[in-house]
Amino acid sequence: MMSSVIKDISIMIAGYAGDGVLFTGNVLGKILKRHGWEVATYRDFPSNIRGEATNYTIRASHEKIYGRGDIIDVLMAFDCDAILRHVHSLEPNGIVLCEGRETERLRPSQTRGKTFHKFPMRELALKNFKSELYKNSILLGGLCYILNLDFQVIAKIISEVFLERKGEDVVEKNVSAVNLGCEQAKIIVEEHDRHTLIERPDKGRLFISGNEAIALGALAAGCRFFAAYPICPASEIWQWLVNYFPEFNGLVVQAEDEISALNMVLGASFAGARAMTSTSGPGASLMMESFGLAGMAEIPVVIAHVQRAGPSTGLPTKPEQSDLNLWVFGSHGDFPRIVLSPGTIEELFEFTITAFNLADKYQCPVIVLTEQDYGQNYFTVDNVDLSDVHIDRAMLLSQEELLKIQDFKRCEFTRNGISPRAIPSMTNGVHLVESVEHDERGYRDENPDIRVRMMEKRMKKLKGALQDLIPPKFWGKNEARVGVIGFGSTISPIREALSQLDEKGIDAKYLQIRTLWPFHAKIVERFMASCEHIFVVENNFSGQLSGLIQGQGVECSRVIKVNKYSGHTFMPVDISAAILKALKR
Amino acid sequence: MNEDTYHLNDPTWCRGCGLFGLFAALKKTSAALDLSPEKMVVVTGIGCHGRFNNYFKAYGFHGLHGRALPVATGIKLVNTELAVIVISGDGDAYSIGLSHFVHSVRRNINLTHIVVNNSVFGLTQGQTSPTSQHGFVSISTPAGSKEWPLDGPLLALTSGARFVARGFSGDPKQLTSLLKLAIPHNGYSLVEVLSPCVTHNKLNTYKWYKSHIRDVGRDPDYDPGDRPGAIASFNDREKIPVGLIFKEMGPSFGDLSLPSKMPIALADLHVEEALLNKLLEKFE
Repeated sequence: MMSSVIKDISIMIAGYAGDGVLFTGNVLGKILKRHGWEVATYRDFPSNIRGEATNYTIRASHEKIYGRGDIIDVLMAFDCDAILRHVHSLEPNGIVLCEGRETERLRPSQTRGKTFHKFPMRELALKNFKSELYKNSILLGGLCYILNLDFQVIAKIISEVFLERKGEDVVEKNVSAVNLGCEQAKIIVEEHDRHTLIERPDKGRLFISGNEAIALGALAAGCRFFAAYPICPASEIWQWLVNYFPEFNGLVVQAEDEISALNMVLGASFAGARAMTSTSGPGASLMMESFGLAGMAEIPVVIAHVQRAGPSTGLPTKPEQSDLNLWVFGSHGDFPRIVLSPGTIEELFEFTITAFNLADKYQCPVIVLTEQDYGQNYFTVDNVDLSDVHIDRAMLLSQEELLKIQDFKRCEFTRNGISPRAIPSMTNGVHLVESVEHDERGYRDENPDIRVRMMEKRMKKLKGALQDLIPPKFWGKNEARVGVIGFGSTISPIREALSQLDEKGIDAKYLQIRTLWPFHAKIVERFMASCEHIFVVENNFSGQLSGLIQGQGVECSRVIKVNKYSGHTFMPVDISAAILKALKR
Repeated sequence: MNEDTYHLNDPTWCRGCGLFGLFAALKKTSAALDLSPEKMVVVTGIGCHGRFNNYFKAYGFHGLHGRALPVATGIKLVNTELAVIVISGDGDAYSIGLSHFVHSVRRNINLTHIVVNNSVFGLTQGQTSPTSQHGFVSISTPAGSKEWPLDGPLLALTSGARFVARGFSGDPKQLTSLLKLAIPHNGYSLVEVLSPCVTHNKLNTYKWYKSHIRDVGRDPDYDPGDRPGAIASFNDREKIPVGLIFKEMGPSFGDLSLPSKMPIALADLHVEEALLNKLLEKFE
């Protein structure tokens, strides 16, 4: 990075939980966004409130990015341990902003080439503002001087963030703390150690987390009932909806557990509302029984699942992609389900809307499967188009339509298996939703002929659905012989890995799977057939996507699995190095 | 409306089953309250009581074992114009669904919860239930149950329930009068029904119940508005209190949390773009 023109920069803020790392990072992310840069953040924090190490990386680039890079350019360290922990990830000519005393504990090999700017941040904060809390803004001021950031923009963001919650006094103090940091930097930073981030236009863009994008998508799609149980890393969906639902006549309910949450949602949907729940690992396991009820009783429902590392309690605040099997194969019995896997924050918004339409159309559960690194991090996205949102309730009858029907059958045998739907309070629509096998009217029937017909009716609903579902997206050059397949948030490191391979003269292409079930097996098979080398990249141990591909009868003997299950996302170099290594063999 | 309005099919419960008493009482009550089957949803759990939907005409939801209450909660909250009646068994409400029971009481959703308590798992052929007496001999506890029974109405009372009643299916008249009070009650109302299982519970028979219940309504000093007094009525180990045990008024969850009178389920989902665009400003 450390050339005069910066096109990509990663700034890590590191300290202990309780230091205000998250807050400072969010402010910095916003500052860079307002300077017109593409921003992606990466939180690495423990499932603990205080006392353990935490760090937050804010990456800004001229290119569209959705994840972290390979290296840290600037380390803003609140303590010596932070430097010791992260100095190895630092660029050889990287910059460290720190208190000052820490460098004594570093070996020369660790400090060589790097620039250490020493800010007595705690002392300055206590002396000027009588509180150590202001160290964050002082350090931010220092960074802003080094990167030539616009002081007016910073002051404005601080005001936006603090004014409502903390009042004018806190805004003023923080702005003057940034100023103080800036002044301090003027004393200690040499002119040749300053770098300029060129300002770019920032028009109509958003700075939004994946969880907020899901919530926004749900609201735009007409979701008006949401029930959930607190769980990392999905709760921000709820936290956003609970604030904005009331003005749209929506309701959020805190359930006593995930079993209750999904059952509430099923009740609300049966009664006619568009309804959703959100969860992660353990909560999803608890939902399995009711997931099957949605399939059996043909109730439209959307479940947003933000994956964390499992199994069991696992790593509650760390990303993984190990719940694919759970939703594609989970719950007892056979029933139709749709599993979507958005690969960008824009897709999280769009696919959530699509999920509601698919649920109504196919009258089955639809899962929006994403990952912690998307859910809880912030990204710049091009403005979402809300004028384009299309709400289609499909076979949900109006009262007028229902009155025209002589003999309403909720589970009527139809050509495509999809039956008309009425909701309670409608005249002429009285029916039963039945978890036991049932006849066309919904009433219990254990007759084998009915059982067979009803089973086939439910299962055939998705027979023709594939062409309706979001197909895989192809990236790269057709003629490339190295192929990579992945789903979800691995898009960012995979695409950057492809650029790294390109620099080494290796052409590679990438197939981004966007619907996990039903599976676009033919497209995947064609893609694989066009490759000499196939890599399936997944953030899990066993390779659940490769298993899924193989299960569809696709020849998989050449597949090389690239897996990571450390509780971290891939860095681009993890993938490019694995591919290079395999190609050398 | 008359009772026949709700009569969809003749029930096929075992002859003498307590559920017949409830079936008759609910038809009577619905007619008396002039409830339209189209504005009524009966949500049931799994057990013999779960067949209710096959006999009683109204919108119905026969869901999972123990999960009737959360389903009913979702239904009621998105359409407050519906009369929502939940029917559970003692296994349903007090065993697998106990957590939903206590939390629904606490949440005070405006619905009526009828727990048909026969102190045995009937549909699965007669295992001991959470309300079976200590020492109860069954196929699951051949040496006698080593656990002690719980009392649903008492648990509801101590969890803050605002309407608690208990009837006996051998007294459909009293049961009807209790249901007539429970259904219009604004908030969660519990009506437990002592309901003999003639096939699998040879201990808690009609005769046994008749000599083991005490109608609190017959006590001129009993005050159903006095919670500590109502709780104290459970101290009598020999006699099970029945009748209107407790009732107090208060806002329901829906009263406190629904943003408007317009039922969520019936509202237009299309939103003005300008309103949505205003939301986006927060992310700039």
